[in-house]
Amino acid sequence: MINCELFTCDAATKKLYEKAKKERIDTVWDRALAMQPQCGFGEMGLCCTNCSMGPCRIVKVSDDGPKAGICGATEDTIASRNFARAVAAGSAAHSDHGRDIALALYHATGKIRVKDEEKLFKIAGEWGIAVEGKDASRIAREVAEKALSEFGKIFGKLLFLKRAPHKRQNLWDELGVAPEAIDREIVEVLHSTHMGSDADYRNIIRQAIRAALSDGWGGSMIGTELSDVLFGTPVPRKVEANLGVLKKECVNIVVHGHEPTLSEAIVMAARDPELLELAKKQGAEGINVVGMCCTGNEIAMRHGIPMAGDFFQQELAIVTGAVEAMIVDVQCIMPSLATVAKCYHTKLITTSPKAKVPGAIHMEFDEQKGLDIAKRIVKEAVMNFKNRKGEVYIPDVKSEGEIGYSLEAIIKILDRVTNSFAHPSGTVKPLVDAIKSGVLRGAVAIVGCNNHKQPHNSCHVTLAKELLRRDILVVTTGCGAHSCIKAGLMSKEARKYCGKGLATVCELLDIPPVLHMGSCVDISRILVLLSEVANYMGVDISDLPVAAAAPEWMSEKAQSIGLYAVASGIYVVLGVSPAVTGSENVTNYLTKDLESVLGGRFEIEKDPVKAAEKIAVHIENKRKRLGI
Amino acid sequence: MALFDIIFEGSKQALEAAKAAVEAAIEKKGSDAKVAFPETAYGLPAIYAATGKKIGTLGELRDALSIVESLIVPEQNLEKALNAGLATALSAEIIEACKYAVEEKPYSEPCVGFISDAVIRSLGVPLVTGDIPGVAVVIGEAPSAQEAAKVIKDYQNKGLLVFLVGKIIDQALEAKVKMGLELRVVPLGYDVTSVIHVVTVAIRAALIFGAVPPGNLEELLKYTRERVPAFVNALGSLSELVVSAGAGAIALGFPVITDQDVQEVPHYLIVQKDYDKIVPTSLEARGIKIKITEVPIPVGFAAAFEGERVRKED
Repeated sequence: MINCELFTCDAATKKLYEKAKKERIDTVWDRALAMQPQCGFGEMGLCCTNCSMGPCRIVKVSDDGPKAGICGATEDTIASRNFARAVAAGSAAHSDHGRDIALALYHATGKIRVKDEEKLFKIAGEWGIAVEGKDASRIAREVAEKALSEFGKIFGKLLFLKRAPHKRQNLWDELGVAPEAIDREIVEVLHSTHMGSDADYRNIIRQAIRAALSDGWGGSMIGTELSDVLFGTPVPRKVEANLGVLKKECVNIVVHGHEPTLSEAIVMAARDPELLELAKKQGAEGINVVGMCCTGNEIAMRHGIPMAGDFFQQELAIVTGAVEAMIVDVQCIMPSLATVAKCYHTKLITTSPKAKVPGAIHMEFDEQKGLDIAKRIVKEAVMNFKNRKGEVYIPDVKSEGEIGYSLEAIIKILDRVTNSFAHPSGTVKPLVDAIKSGVLRGAVAIVGCNNHKQPHNSCHVTLAKELLRRDILVVTTGCGAHSCIKAGLMSKEARKYCGKGLATVCELLDIPPVLHMGSCVDISRILVLLSEVANYMGVDISDLPVAAAAPEWMSEKAQSIGLYAVASGIYVVLGVSPAVTGSENVTNYLTKDLESVLGGRFEIEKDPVKAAEKIAVHIENKRKRLGI
Repeated sequence: MALFDIIFEGSKQALEAAKAAVEAAIEKKGSDAKVAFPETAYGLPAIYAATGKKIGTLGELRDALSIVESLIVPEQNLEKALNAGLATALSAEIIEACKYAVEEKPYSEPCVGFISDAVIRSLGVPLVTGDIPGVAVVIGEAPSAQEAAKVIKDYQNKGLLVFLVGKIIDQALEAKVKMGLELRVVPLGYDVTSVIHVVTVAIRAALIFGAVPPGNLEELLKYTRERVPAFVNALGSLSELVVSAGAGAIALGFPVITDQDVQEVPHYLIVQKDYDKIVPTSLEARGIKIKITEVPIPVGFAAAFEGERVRKED
């Protein structure tokens, strides 16, 4: 057994891990321990299985042993190919998410109503779709069609690239990395990393950059923008977080996964009077829907649904014994959930044809019959309430925070400090002024996952606190957001962690110092915010005193995010090294040389305190270069 | 130059000037010579409120310089920048105290210089009742006497208490703005450092009405920010010293509105080049809402004119 004092800083996690151990349930940490030592070849990216002549490995630790694959691929080729494929997979995951949202919008006639027409019109305008004399559902359909064509159009570049500063767009064109169509770029990575294709690590990474940019400025941005259109653009609201949000007396439904189409329907279904009545008949006080991971972020941002937990807490939610159903769709769903659920009454319900789990109940979700299916799923949960067995234990650990900081919400908040006689409203000017004057030193996005190679949550939280102290505003998404809200960093009291400048800004704007901007696809919100700031200042994103960090990243999606951030000109600090360290050339390219090409680069720093120091130095250097 | 660097530079200049003033005063009067402002129980009010120490002699004043010095730490963050602003305020007080130590009557008509405790006590009630809805500190020089008068009279009409520092005093005289405490337009002095005499009004308000314990800087700043509805109009070219004094105002919670090109700070440092909008911009920045209904008559009408005397030549 592992020492849970060291592996997490979260109290609820510690308590439930102990319960899991008592009940002999293996969790992610136990499996990670059993996996030790992990394979060095894989860890360094020096293992290739791309053809059946392999597997091949490059031996670095001694002079003897192979220095090239059977086909002749060098360590540079193998490491860069592996990295590129990971990026392509991440981009594919986000992009498929975006496509599903676009499809949902396409079908948004009749039952599903478009919630944010203003945003719909704005996107239509951006994309050159005429709106005169058309009703919202027709415009929605045209916008959706245009969005869907982004995935496989034959000619032209991605439409959302135009949101980037001109300098950035020109740079992408010069370097030949401006993506054309989302799926196309992912396929091209798979092609060029096939045996006997691309062997030039720089060229392989160039293609990976195209695939990554097609995620950030394509798939993810479509996912975010159209989710806002469909379900409403988030506005600030209070929300509770951590596993203490489960309620003993209620039917607890955990929605876990990524796509808001499912979770939105579940939220609606759980408010159905018939189902509530049914829940009461089963002896429950009500139906308590809570969210996990990114779908949790989506419904928290839009409806204030409690954020039950992050990636590493998914098994522990079931261990409480209080979860009637865990409803999942796609991405970051541990297949172990089926095994854990079997020990309790919990029903694991998969809903996507793209993500089935052996041992789970599959109730396929279809956007067009969304609410009906959602009601059936909720009913399944309600009827399961009486089947609870064993000890129900919900740790009394939860915190509260303010979330819902979409770009639109942020700009509206900034108007609070404009003077109506001296300033325009509706711009990023106050943010730019706060940064230029030095009151804020800069801004950092803390994003990413959980990873057993880093202490759970504490890297996110430590890094955030270190930055706040230095008057650096933190924005966050994904499981970084879960970590921060659990640690109380999204409450007003979190001002006590801030330097005077940031504390003053928070007080004037009435905001917490860590702004929850949404799910992992919502990192696209950060790209748009940075573009607005850069455009206002007349500079490129790479000139801004900003950085990004993924201190506990885990997934291929995180690698795609990291690379599109770098390619957008951002300094990205990773707490866990990607599997490229076997190649010095590839490592140097990603962590050094790329900066002179794209203005952004990766930095590997495991220690969050040192990461904060490096970020602060980076930010001050950018300030100096701007003369501010 | 980055805004904070301008502030640090100005604070250093103020400190150097304060050091020179103290040395010159000691040379003239000796380090045991008394130093005090007239008619106050609060010593040198800014230093007293910030440190809890009452300065009695020039020698003690020299020792106080090290406090000022310790406040100037040129690190790039707001806290240090505001501290440097406070340092400038303290330097200004030291310089002004030296004037009073060396000269019998350092200020003469129309300037009033230091303001006595009695006057502050008399201002307390109208400030609390909102009869004086705000305190405008106008420093520097407007483009012309007409523009200066327009801004000053507008404040006066709205019942605000207006303090003038610098060439704006001459512009007000030129435009025949009637001045005096009873008219709520108070010319302090021509040197930038004389602005400290309005700062100590706010500080003594905190000590007298807010019962803020001397030496509790944090509570002092909270009181001035929340309870003293003051703001600054810095007009005309801005030296590093003025910018750094402005940081001192911001530390007290008073927004600065200027007609010059500077890097704006949301809420606190605002550029307004349109003279017709300086007054509304300032009132909004400080959250001052005027209770008076403006009566459409051809002369100014406000409590500020209550004590006005109509002389023969008028």
